[in-house]
Amino acid sequence: MALIHPLQSLISNSAGNLVFVVIKSSVLAFKCVDGQYSLVGRWTDDLASNETSKQSEDATTVKKLKDNEGQVVKKAESPAPGIAFSLQVRNLTLTHDESKLIACVDSDKSVVVFEIDEKDGANCLKLIKRQPFPKRPNAVTIAENGDKVLIADKFGDVHRISINQSEVVKSEEMEPILGHVSMLTGVTLAKNSQGQNFIITSDRDEHIKISHYPQCFIVDKWLFGHNEFVSSFCIPSWNPSWLFSAGGDDSIFAWNWEKGSKLSHFDFSDLIKPHLTKAHRGADRFQNEKKDVIECAVSRVLTCESIPFLAFFVEATKLLYVLEICPKSGALTLKQSIKFTHNIVSLSESHDEFCVTLDTSKSDDEEYVNFVEYDQETEDFMIDIAKSEAFNKALISSVKDDASVKADETDLYSLYGIISLKNMGNIIPDQL
Amino acid sequence: RAHSNPFSDHQLEYPSCPDDMDWSRLYPHFYDKENKKMTKEVTIADIGCGFGGLLIDLSPEFPDDLILGMEIRVQVTNYVEDRIIALRNNHAKKMAYQNINVLRGNAMKFIPNFFLKGQLSKMFFCFPDPHFKQRKHKARIITNTLLSEYAYVLKEGGVVYTITDVEDLHNWMVKHLEEHPLFERLSESWENEDKCVTIMRNATEEGKKVERKKGDKFIACFKRLPTPSIA
Repeated sequence: MALIHPLQSLISNSAGNLVFVVIKSSVLAFKCVDGQYSLVGRWTDDLASNETSKQSEDATTVKKLKDNEGQVVKKAESPAPGIAFSLQVRNLTLTHDESKLIACVDSDKSVVVFEIDEKDGANCLKLIKRQPFPKRPNAVTIAENGDKVLIADKFGDVHRISINQSEVVKSEEMEPILGHVSMLTGVTLAKNSQGQNFIITSDRDEHIKISHYPQCFIVDKWLFGHNEFVSSFCIPSWNPSWLFSAGGDDSIFAWNWEKGSKLSHFDFSDLIKPHLTKAHRGADRFQNEKKDVIECAVSRVLTCESIPFLAFFVEATKLLYVLEICPKSGALTLKQSIKFTHNIVSLSESHDEFCVTLDTSKSDDEEYVNFVEYDQETEDFMIDIAKSEAFNKALISSVKDDASVKADETDLYSLYGIISLKNMGNIIPDQL
Repeated sequence: RAHSNPFSDHQLEYPSCPDDMDWSRLYPHFYDKENKKMTKEVTIADIGCGFGGLLIDLSPEFPDDLILGMEIRVQVTNYVEDRIIALRNNHAKKMAYQNINVLRGNAMKFIPNFFLKGQLSKMFFCFPDPHFKQRKHKARIITNTLLSEYAYVLKEGGVVYTITDVEDLHNWMVKHLEEHPLFERLSESWENEDKCVTIMRNATEEGKKVERKKGDKFIACFKRLPTPSIA
């Protein structure tokens, strides 16, 4: 059993010398000097630890499954594997000037804003704001040059709050600037070639919606093509009118969002098939007679900052796939697949370098984090072993005696929540 | 059943995009078999059409428009389907009621899957579920965020019609439509001259029920304003 709980999330600053990670309900900051990392900041969500016991009780309650007419058909075992009952800190986001770090906190459905004070060697994370929301925040983006933050929630609404003012807005006074009638999974701002601003939002009903910003009441278009929920999308900085998206479908989609056209898609179903395990077997209530329904979903898709590649991974697998993007047509081809020793939990990108965190919870390995860099000479992506080892070593030595980030089987924080977005909650096998 | 939760994942059928929608199934009379194209497109939508009274009364008034009712409740949709089939059969000689039909759908989630930008000229919201509880207000069919999607499918100058017997809901709908930058309320004199308002007041089953109970009916109509140009 590993010492430390798997890292649910990681983000680096652009210089690469500050790394922020989420372990259980703590945010930790590491600084790199001459290749050596040291812990320089931490914040723990105290509300989460108080809530954990209550939550685990809730998690054992039996969920009733209803059909379309509201009849209770069958009692499903609850929690289904991977459903996020535990309390999370998610969506680490840096402002563009990297002076502030933002995170979503499940315990009180709030967004926390930290000022990063590098001069304070003891703790560089200064909490300046904790803004609760009516519904759980699920995605974040920075707006107005870092003055505001846009929060997309699980109820389908997008709210805008200011970062710099520490006072909190009452949640009943909040008016959404935009909304879907569906859980939102992503939000980002984008500029078209005429310099007009747009807000792009994705949801668990296959929709990617593009509205003007800040005139969010003017919907420009939808990108149609997904047949399942959208879990993640990104816009490459080297071609801001393109967009790549993925989720419950078997493909990664490439779009020109400005024109509203699909450029291409990359079907990964044959690639991933040999790597799917019992964990991907669909829940009992969705099984067919042969019991061979397999469900998988892409957790994250991310482009490189300056080179035409993207990386993605399928939830609860060990493989990171890198696709090459044709800069003319947007066609996607497999560049490389990188197999890790454990399942990938999170993926991030900084300066053409990918970083994955791994689910080491069932082993003694200390490979919590792997940095994957692009080698200009071989033109391949490869694991930066020295950097990864340096980070993992610093991580272990600085928090190994810390109970709040310890791996503890009784409260293993949910690492696999994406597949539960699959839109089949009401398919009743004997009704098909 | 009077209610249906618009947030739950009903097993719905909807096209993946407007171009994938097969309208010929609903309006076979308006399908040009030779060119494999529809000769008309849907321009009037009755959102939450209930038992279809409005569709049936609108049909002869707008012979050149295709009129679609959307209803989330299965049995109600089936009933309206049967009703339209019967009407079409009974009026087969005159080819009447070919321009109306109904489909089961969740308009709040999937309206952009059915209609292109600016496709509709009229949208009706007749006696919608009032969702009285405060925390259920997002489930109301008129919210400031959903109005942006209705504005997307409505053409400039198109009209949103609302009618309800619940004054609180009426005030809510008026407030949100008035606050929305793409809608402007139409005057009472406009309402008095508009034939759709008359039909809406008298046609729907809900309307007749309110009539029998001598209840009030609150009406508000809004015009879709031109989309402002953005620098």
